[in-house]
Amino acid sequence: MVTFKINGQTVQGEEGQYILQVAQKYGIDIPTLCHHKALEPAGMCRICTVALFDGRRTRYVTACNYPIWEGMEVTTDSEDVHKGRKLIVELLLARCPDVPVLQQLAKKYGIEKPRFKTEDDTCILCGLCTRICEKMGNNAITLTGRGLNMQVDTPFHIQTDACIACGACASVCPTGHITLEKIRTQVTAKEKVEPIPSEYDMGLKGRKPVYVPYAQAVPNTPAIDREVCVHFKTGGCQVCVSACGVNAINHKMEDEIVELEVGSVILAPGFKPFDPSKFDSYNYANHPNVITSMEMERLLSASGPTGGHLVRLSDHKEPKKIAWFQCVGSRDLNRCDNSYCSSVCCMYAIKEAVIAKEHSGADLDCAIFYMDMRTHGKEFERFYNNAKDKHGVRFVRSRVHTIDPQRDSDDLSVRYVDEAGTSIEEKFDMIVLSIGLETSPEVVQMAKKLGVELTEGNFCKTSTFEPVATSRPGIFVCGAFQGPKDIPQSVVDSSAAAAAAGEILAAGRNTRTKQPEKVPEVNVQGERPRIGVFVCRCGINIAGVVDVPSVAEYAATLPYVEYATDNIYSCAQDTQDSMAQIIKQKKLNRVVVAACTPKTHQPLFQETLLSAGLNKYLFEMANIRNHDSWVHKNNPALATSKAKDLVRMAVTKVAMMQPLKEAELEVDQTAMVIGGGVSGMAAARSLALQGYETHIVERADQLGGQAHKIYKTISGDIVKEKLAGLISELEQNSRIHIHLNTELTQVDGFVGSFKSVLSSNGDKQELAYGVAVIATGGAPLQTTEYSYGQDPRILTSLELDQKLMADDPMIAKAESAVFIQCVGSREPERPYCSRVCCTHSIDNALELKKRNPTMSIYVLYRDVRTYGEREYIYREAREKGIIFIRYSLDAKPQVNMVDEKILVTVTDHVLGLPVQIEADLLTLATAIIPNKEEALAQFFKVPLNEDGFFVEKHAKLGPSEFATDGVFLCGLAHYPKPIDEAIVQGRAAASRAVTLLARKKIHTSGEVAEVDPMMCSSCGVCVSVCPYSAPSFIAADARMHAGKAQINAVLCKGCGLCVASCRSGAIHLHGFDNNQIFGQIFAVSS
Amino acid sequence: MVNFANREALQAYRTDLDAEKATGKKLISLCSGSGCGAYGTANVKTLLQDELSKNGLADAYEIRLTGCHGFCEKGPIMVIHPDRIFYCQVKTENVPEIVEKTLKSGELLDKLLFKDPVNKKKKYAKNDEIPFYKLQQRLILGANPLIDPTNIDHYLALGGYKALEKALFDMQPADIIDQVKKSSLRGRGGGGFPTGIKWATCAKHHGDRYVICNADEGDPGAYMDRSMLEGNPHSVIEGMIIAARAIGSKEGYVYVRHEYPLAVANLTIALDRAREMGLLGANILGSGLDFDIRISRGGGAFVCGESTALMASLEGKPGRPRAKYVHTVEKGFREGPSNLNNVETYANVPLIINKGADWYSSIGTKHSKGTKIFSLVGKVANTGLVEVPMGTTLRQIVFDIGGGIRKQKKFKAVQTGGPSGGCIPERFLDLPVDFDELTKVGSIMGSGGMIVMDQDTCMVDLARYFVKFLVDESCGQCNPCREGLKQMLEILDRICQGLGREDDVQLLEELGSMIQKFSLCGLGTSAPNPVLTTILYFRHEYDAHIKEHKCPAGVCKPLFHYEIDADTCTGCTLCFKKCPQEAVSGKKKEPHQIDQEKCIKCGICYDGCKFDAIKIR
Repeated sequence: MVTFKINGQTVQGEEGQYILQVAQKYGIDIPTLCHHKALEPAGMCRICTVALFDGRRTRYVTACNYPIWEGMEVTTDSEDVHKGRKLIVELLLARCPDVPVLQQLAKKYGIEKPRFKTEDDTCILCGLCTRICEKMGNNAITLTGRGLNMQVDTPFHIQTDACIACGACASVCPTGHITLEKIRTQVTAKEKVEPIPSEYDMGLKGRKPVYVPYAQAVPNTPAIDREVCVHFKTGGCQVCVSACGVNAINHKMEDEIVELEVGSVILAPGFKPFDPSKFDSYNYANHPNVITSMEMERLLSASGPTGGHLVRLSDHKEPKKIAWFQCVGSRDLNRCDNSYCSSVCCMYAIKEAVIAKEHSGADLDCAIFYMDMRTHGKEFERFYNNAKDKHGVRFVRSRVHTIDPQRDSDDLSVRYVDEAGTSIEEKFDMIVLSIGLETSPEVVQMAKKLGVELTEGNFCKTSTFEPVATSRPGIFVCGAFQGPKDIPQSVVDSSAAAAAAGEILAAGRNTRTKQPEKVPEVNVQGERPRIGVFVCRCGINIAGVVDVPSVAEYAATLPYVEYATDNIYSCAQDTQDSMAQIIKQKKLNRVVVAACTPKTHQPLFQETLLSAGLNKYLFEMANIRNHDSWVHKNNPALATSKAKDLVRMAVTKVAMMQPLKEAELEVDQTAMVIGGGVSGMAAARSLALQGYETHIVERADQLGGQAHKIYKTISGDIVKEKLAGLISELEQNSRIHIHLNTELTQVDGFVGSFKSVLSSNGDKQELAYGVAVIATGGAPLQTTEYSYGQDPRILTSLELDQKLMADDPMIAKAESAVFIQCVGSREPERPYCSRVCCTHSIDNALELKKRNPTMSIYVLYRDVRTYGEREYIYREAREKGIIFIRYSLDAKPQVNMVDEKILVTVTDHVLGLPVQIEADLLTLATAIIPNKEEALAQFFKVPLNEDGFFVEKHAKLGPSEFATDGVFLCGLAHYPKPIDEAIVQGRAAASRAVTLLARKKIHTSGEVAEVDPMMCSSCGVCVSVCPYSAPSFIAADARMHAGKAQINAVLCKGCGLCVASCRSGAIHLHGFDNNQIFGQIFAVSS
Repeated sequence: MVNFANREALQAYRTDLDAEKATGKKLISLCSGSGCGAYGTANVKTLLQDELSKNGLADAYEIRLTGCHGFCEKGPIMVIHPDRIFYCQVKTENVPEIVEKTLKSGELLDKLLFKDPVNKKKKYAKNDEIPFYKLQQRLILGANPLIDPTNIDHYLALGGYKALEKALFDMQPADIIDQVKKSSLRGRGGGGFPTGIKWATCAKHHGDRYVICNADEGDPGAYMDRSMLEGNPHSVIEGMIIAARAIGSKEGYVYVRHEYPLAVANLTIALDRAREMGLLGANILGSGLDFDIRISRGGGAFVCGESTALMASLEGKPGRPRAKYVHTVEKGFREGPSNLNNVETYANVPLIINKGADWYSSIGTKHSKGTKIFSLVGKVANTGLVEVPMGTTLRQIVFDIGGGIRKQKKFKAVQTGGPSGGCIPERFLDLPVDFDELTKVGSIMGSGGMIVMDQDTCMVDLARYFVKFLVDESCGQCNPCREGLKQMLEILDRICQGLGREDDVQLLEELGSMIQKFSLCGLGTSAPNPVLTTILYFRHEYDAHIKEHKCPAGVCKPLFHYEIDADTCTGCTLCFKKCPQEAVSGKKKEPHQIDQEKCIKCGICYDGCKFDAIKIR
């Protein structure tokens, strides 16, 4: 350590450091022009010159490259120094009057106009470009010539291949003399100056060779792209190494092959967006304004290349008209081999159109060109309707063949035929191609290697009753590799795959876990607060704006603060270790970390407290990054003062913090499944296989639910046989307890400890369990439409199944069959799609055709929704001569019974004329309606939506669980779905439930409300206001505090509603008590 | 060629040389330094050889083409030994007469003798009687007239490499450094850094150490180092080997200007001879010391005389200085500890070793010991190389040795230290010349350039000239030097054009002060000296240019004109005849006039007028 003085202040630096480095550490401003942290200092611009007194005389040395030594005295702001710097700036401004960085410096030094003869150069010969070029290992440019003839040039003015167009020179040029454009025009080598396309931004934006793929990437650690990193090309550069404050970069790191012994493998390799370049008639490859939907996603994103400002790429103008073309790379055998439906494109196109209108205003014209609108997901149809009716998105049923670029503008022209048969030519500013999903060749390779069978569309082959199992035992699949699907479905899949793996590995559970050593908690009760404050630099995230050392210095002056310091990265493991050491050494009993957001980092620092033997609630974070350095980038002085305010608030609060206890709960290792349909059975089976006692409660007298009524699946499985197998498996599993003819009449308790009363034919039985799965299912709508009930030949879908199962002679006799789709679905009364009917009707139509190839079969539909690889049967049906006639909601088919004949009249969409069909068999695809389980919803405090389906915790991230802890959801009770998806979700629910069961004990937060019974007036407001039923009255006959309120710490979520409502001031929220909050307020306002 | 396996072999050889010398050929020393060479020494020699042969005297005389005798003003110079008859401005036509009269009859040729420039009647027959030589103390240059630089024997005969013997066999490296320290020898390249301390520091640092000789003499008008390398290269080589022994080096370099072909040639020969004789290379004189010297030729950049730039150039990089915050004695050439001294410094070393530090330090002033060679040029009568003890006054050098100003004109100033030295006015003529005294008056010792200026020198124009030189020679790296000097030149240019502004002098001072403090290397920090000293001592000339739009010295053409003073003009018609523009008119014996429209201010009339009738107005 070298101690010396700067401007009279005693400072310290490491041996070998330069004055500038130490000055910067102490926040002493020294201007620089030719300095770059990653480069050896050259001392060329001389603007960092400082006065140095060596004990005998004063010399002038450049701070950037003068090595420090013990006892020297540096003055950075003497009059001579200031005068000299000013004159240098004036000289440079005379040389380059138009360079902004010099104009700013001139302004700072009060120079209005140089007194010298001016020139019009833009290069100040700082040499940064040549030094970085050398550092890059290229030496393509250098300083040539002498004196006034010195310039940055290539040797002998000749452009050679030495330049690899890395652009490093442009990146360090302080004046803008070197730009990428200039390099682009001069480079002769095959390398071109092109931004490295950001994968995340679909190439619409560049990224650096060292990059984090996207802001929320996990792990959020930058990676070096070897393909483009200059170091791996030349052996030079390594600028990142000098920039890294914690020596984390190692260029010698190699890929490692790690061998793992595992009991199961889950494949989740995802999909690849279809590349529409080969569709030359769409001009995607040639025209900037034809983009893919993935690119559109980025353009609409606030984190995207335009910051969410919607512009077209050719001229960055705001578009007025945008078209989406559906089914690009999907449902297409002519121009690509993807004949399946990609399932997600309709929905995302509508979403993009709505968001585009939200971004650009209502007068943006959005048109979606489609074949069938497939919004078969939960709440999707409503979104579709809103897009049409509320947002004014145009939906055009037409498949456009060609996009014609306009010669005189950047617009695009398309010709199409509308539903009325009129040929229309329309211009758009930009066109979005709704590209489909496909399995990448790499994944196909991987599947081959693993010996996993694929489908026709290169997706992983699974079966209806084992929907996450691949053809190879022990290997499971989830997500889009199993088939094109959206996020909610993928998340359900993933839980199911985890359950499937868990089932076969149940015996090994907890055999390889390690328990962390517990440090005994130090009792700090009654001690005077001894607060430690750790201020984080977060690299340059905070320190780039906030003067971190001065914040730490300030913190040390606050009451009770015993220790304050700053760290480069407080969250780094070594810092954590040293923090724990410091807590112990300094006997700290409260800790404040001033860093980033508690949302991500509080648990980490609390762990540190625990490892130092402190109660983890003796901690407070001040968010001086997100709340300060990020938002006050341009105002460092104020940001520093705000950081001090935030630290002061945190210190005030933490001083009043008390150690809190967390309630520990035993989790009853029993599960209850309500509903014995395939979904419930799947859940129960999985729970049992994973080792938990499971009760399955079924209202009916047998397990199986609606599946009993289904004939077969599209893959040809006879449902009855499979169902029988499943039921017997359940019956034989000793862990599964089946309660038939049983209903739930009461539910008490909470996560881990529920108690219910089961009622079976009047017998009541109490059951205790830790978790519950709701799988109450649904049923077909009983309709009166289309003359249903007037003739035995008019059937519902499931009735047709039964006829098929029974080989009813009526079927053999029939010469013509009509299917009417959307009976009761997608109507104002029931505005959702029942999801399964299109597939089911077409499958049955094919079955009829199989049994009687001469039968005339008509399917009257609104949109055919054979999503995913179900599309194949739609294709097959058309190939086999089944006739599809579309109808619209305002012109529904008419069914008339005339002379014992069923006459179906429908307006043909091609002819535009009514067509009459005599049907020997009329099948109505009636809607699936939920069993509106309002009582159950009440019991478990879980919500139903307006259609009567249960509302999951989160549509995407929690599709198989409820917001209420310990309660899970699957099957038709969630939304209509086919058997495979019902089974998947059953398993998913089980999987989620096991995450709780497996823990055996759970801890609730210590930050809960508590009633001071002495203050309580028993008014009951808290009891009525709590959304979690945490408060209750103490029994009237209790020995202590009878009739007063009490709060169940286990149920309390710490929301504070009761605290705010309590008129007696009797309730306190631990960790956020009134005195703490007021303390913070007074601290900031003082 | 002999190769000395040990000290004794060399001593024996030297004894043989002495015996040979005793065989008694008379020596005729012919200066073949650059000045005399240009006058045609070689032809004189050829002719002389022929004449001697014709007269049967070929065996009686040895004609030796030697290095520079220093009195360049009067070349070609011939000294006939043993009587030390000094003939100057010898032409080929004089040769037969010299043989006939002087050699055969011992008669002095009057016309070839040196005449006192002031008292024209007085003539000198012997070289050591001439004031030019008499007042000098030629410790370093003294051997030049006696040595054929291509013949190592001549150097050995004069006791050459005796110091090396002593250093190798009688002294330890520490003793050598101690002697050099005690001698208080200071670097002759200009910085004046104590050589002994430099050697000691270099020896202290670890790594491959280098001994480097700075022969990149780039100052206009200076040629001390050149004369040493051309005339007595072995003295430099010997100094370098002793340095190598002192600091522990195996490799040496002489960085010499490419524009010094004769120096390079003579040095190359000298190195070859020394190597062949075992005085250089592996195991020198059997002492165990391995050391060799290579020549590196510079491309002619003035800045390469700066130590770090020189080493960069030596490494094959562009010759640009770096900040010397880490000294070259610690990390210099190839990152190794490097000892850089100039030619003259090394040439001093054998003297110190031979005669001892005490003897050496008895010469000179308190803080500057020994002698210093100056290249005395400009408007002085006797231009040439002079070597005087430190502390000799400017007046002694300029007037006593240099013979004063030519044509009886008035002394104005003397500029020391090369282009970035300062101009010293008449009032400081009695200043004893040493490192510290020169600094006190705003100038520097530099490598020993000394340019004398008379009344016809415009100090503003002079400053402009030097700044122009430095602008051209600045490496261009650092802003104060590149941009600052450029703007200084811009300002001086406009002053010389008569377009100077009121605040220009202040601006020059401001720039000068900043450039001195903020520049990266010595070139920059000393560059403003000519401007600042001329402002300091000749401010009135600047004012005359700016305020009165006059150039008092009659140099800046837009600022004066010639007029003929009717009272003084005798109507001799000389100016009329000489004027290339036919601008002068007038009749014989009547005062002439100058047509200002036609006059181009070439100054021919002014220089030519014998009656001082042409006036600068």
